[in-house]
Amino acid sequence: MSKSTHDVSNEVVVRTIVRKRLTLRSLVREEKFLYVVSLVVFFTIWHLAATRGNGDSALVTPWATLQGLYDMMSSPLGGETLVGHTWNSLRRVLIGFSIAVCFGIPLGLLLGISETASAILRPLVDVFRPMPPLAWISLSILWFGIGEEPKIFIIFLASFIPSVLNAYNGVRLIEPELYDVVRVMGGSRWDEIKQVVVPASMPAISAGLQLSITSAWMGVLAAELVSSNSGLGYIIILGMQNSDPQMVLGGMVMIAAVAWVLTASMEKIDMMLCPWRREIKGL
Amino acid sequence: MEQSAASNAKIEVRNLTKKFGDLLVLDRINFNIKKGELVAIVGPTGCGKTTFLNCMSKLTDTTDGDIFIDGVPADPVKHNLAFVFQEPTALPWRTVAQNVVYGMEVKGVPEKERAERLEYILNLVGLKDTADLYPNQVSASMMQRIAVARAFAVNPDLLLMDEPYGQLDVKLRFYLEDELVKLWQTLNSTVLFITHNIEEAVYVAERILVLTPKPTKVRAEVIVDLPRPRNFLDPRFVEIRRQVTELIRWW
Ligand SMILES: Nc1ncnc2c1ncn2[C@@H]1O[C@H](COP(=O)(O)OP(=O)(O)OP(=O)(O)O)[C@@H](O)[C@H]1O
Ligand SMILES: [Mg+2]
Repeated sequence: MSKSTHDVSNEVVVRTIVRKRLTLRSLVREEKFLYVVSLVVFFTIWHLAATRGNGDSALVTPWATLQGLYDMMSSPLGGETLVGHTWNSLRRVLIGFSIAVCFGIPLGLLLGISETASAILRPLVDVFRPMPPLAWISLSILWFGIGEEPKIFIIFLASFIPSVLNAYNGVRLIEPELYDVVRVMGGSRWDEIKQVVVPASMPAISAGLQLSITSAWMGVLAAELVSSNSGLGYIIILGMQNSDPQMVLGGMVMIAAVAWVLTASMEKIDMMLCPWRREIKGL
Repeated sequence: MEQSAASNAKIEVRNLTKKFGDLLVLDRINFNIKKGELVAIVGPTGCGKTTFLNCMSKLTDTTDGDIFIDGVPADPVKHNLAFVFQEPTALPWRTVAQNVVYGMEVKGVPEKERAERLEYILNLVGLKDTADLYPNQVSASMMQRIAVARAFAVNPDLLLMDEPYGQLDVKLRFYLEDELVKLWQTLNSTVLFITHNIEEAVYVAERILVLTPKPTKVRAEVIVDLPRPRNFLDPRFVEIRRQVTELIRWW
């Protein structure tokens, strides 16, 4: 047969890059340029606001905030440097988050797969869902004392519900035709779960991970603000008690930085979990 | 256990009835398909062609009646079936090649043979160059080719095709019709081919079953005893096509 697959399929794979010319007009419209402009304006206003008045304002300049950060990193506060406190907060988050995810995702999948499980457990999930995790702080301190446990418990609560609900919704939104692909091949129920349920709900699960880590990070700070002698929440409380805005702002900057790193890592993880969604960009 | 009435038919459909609530779709349908036959089914839109194939592959329950394959009730776990759905279905998280290999994985084809057959089949349907793309990166016609390739790849004993080439352009359709005939001849499989296209039915099938509108019965059976390769311009081809068209005019 002389016919090649090319004339049959009429398909070729081509990848192109569109080049733009640099002009003043395109520069102003360039996203990165506007990004920088926006930041410069923000920091300028911050600086002006902090230097207004006679210097005893509760706001310090961006530069002083950076210096405060540097000081806290080099000299210990409450027995540890800023790095140590950051790690304390982060460790709590990672422990609570991991436990929540390990239980939450399988539970969510189970609720999606089994109507019986859903009938039994959904009411419980619905009762606890609307309750903000922070509402548990006092109770958890009563139950677990003031060590690590109450904080990890709060973080667990904060990340558990989003994990469950997202996995559950992921399963519910699967198109039924996808199961048919497995069934007509003679696949078992287990094949369906392994080959369809898990991968098809992965985008939703991954979105749940992002929500969970964000609310876990909020949870740890709240827990540390209430009772702790280490962590970034503690730094902020300490700064407030000492009327030291440099310390408070430094703590806040660190909190934002860690939040940013966590979000960025979750996006990386998302791309690893769902490579098929990413590829579409390259086309 | 239920047993068929004997005979060496590959498929026996006995009084098959399917209702959706009060809607009677399939009304006591009876027919046989011999081992190794390539049968086309044509019928009006909504008459229950897809429903019939779904009953056959146990995707839906039947209301009454039986479908036997090799004398035992049809069951995709026992029988080596393959199904090409009317709507293209690919698993979005698998690449084109992984989608094609999927059926062989479920059916437990050994690794080495899997790779060989994959290579062959990808070339056959012209998906070689796009093997590593994901389904959301390929055109609708390629999606359908994935489904066709996945079905062929398992060397099915019984191949069920629900208007498989409806979405493809004419050139690719002709090519795949020839491939279907070739595969059917080499693999000795039994093929049930649903189509709207009368010319296509006459071109591929040995026998055509014409269905009525709902409630659906088999209106007529047309034997196509033309030599292969068939020629669209052969007067006998034209005559059979006219005959089937007449039956369909009744609608
Ligand atoms: N799950 C369902 N519930 C209720 N009615 C259904 C269901 N599936 C199909 N039907 C009805 O059964 C009839 C037959 O549908 P089916 O899809 O089998 O037709 P078809 O012959 O394949 O049509 P087409 O040529 O358009 O593919 C239609 O009237 C349809 O509305
Ligand atoms: Mg149909």
